Amino acid sequence: MEEEAETEEQQRFSYQQRLKAAVHYTVGCLCEEVALDKEMQFSKQTIAAISELTFRQCENFAKDLEMFARHAKRTTINTEDVKLLARRSNSLLKYITDKSEEIAQINLERKAQKKKKSEDGSKNSRQPAEAGVVESEN
Amino acid sequence: MEGAGAGSGFRKELVSRLLHLHFKDDKTKVSGDALQLMVELLKVFVVAVRGVRQAQAEDALRVDVDQLEKVLPQLLLDF
Repeated sequence: MEEEAETEEQQRFSYQQRLKAAVHYTVGCLCEEVALDKEMQFSKQTIAAISELTFRQCENFAKDLEMFARHAKRTTINTEDVKLLARRSNSLLKYITDKSEEIAQINLERKAQKKKKSEDGSKNSRQPAEAGVVESEN
Repeated sequence: MEGAGAGSGFRKELVSRLLHLHFKDDKTKVSGDALQLMVELLKVFVVAVRGVRQAQAEDALRVDVDQLEKVLPQLLLDF
């Protein structure tokens, strides 16, 4: 019994480690981009520190987001919850709000494209479908 | 991939897993839009650290951990 609990702990721990490694990689990429842009260098320690920070901050983010959604009696976290996360700094909030509108816009355009495609595609297949409906009504 | 933002950033799947790791309720889910916003937020978080660093390290060519420690409290307050 104890062994089982231990393995579960270990599994969770190594899962966390893998996630941390992935975060570390992404942070490294971002920092490198920034470094190229600003002609600066980041020491490995700094990247590790930022990456650890980011990982820990995610825990706070996750718990807050969950609570916001629950407060609104929802189980799915939406963009409003994320915006609440960014409330503490005005410039951050503005940036995130702008991004959120950008994302919404992109998604709208994508949906419009998809709809157009499926309308063009299903003109051929619509007739059989209607026939099927007629049959089921009988 | 889809070119939504400039250059690299957090993958949506990674962000989703990171968040789910800390959810207390199994039923909690994240909408696609919210996930994308989180990617942006995390990018800002990482970039903000180096941005504040740069303000302090005009002369230095390398960003060091000591300088990071100095700005940490302020940064965390912002979040």
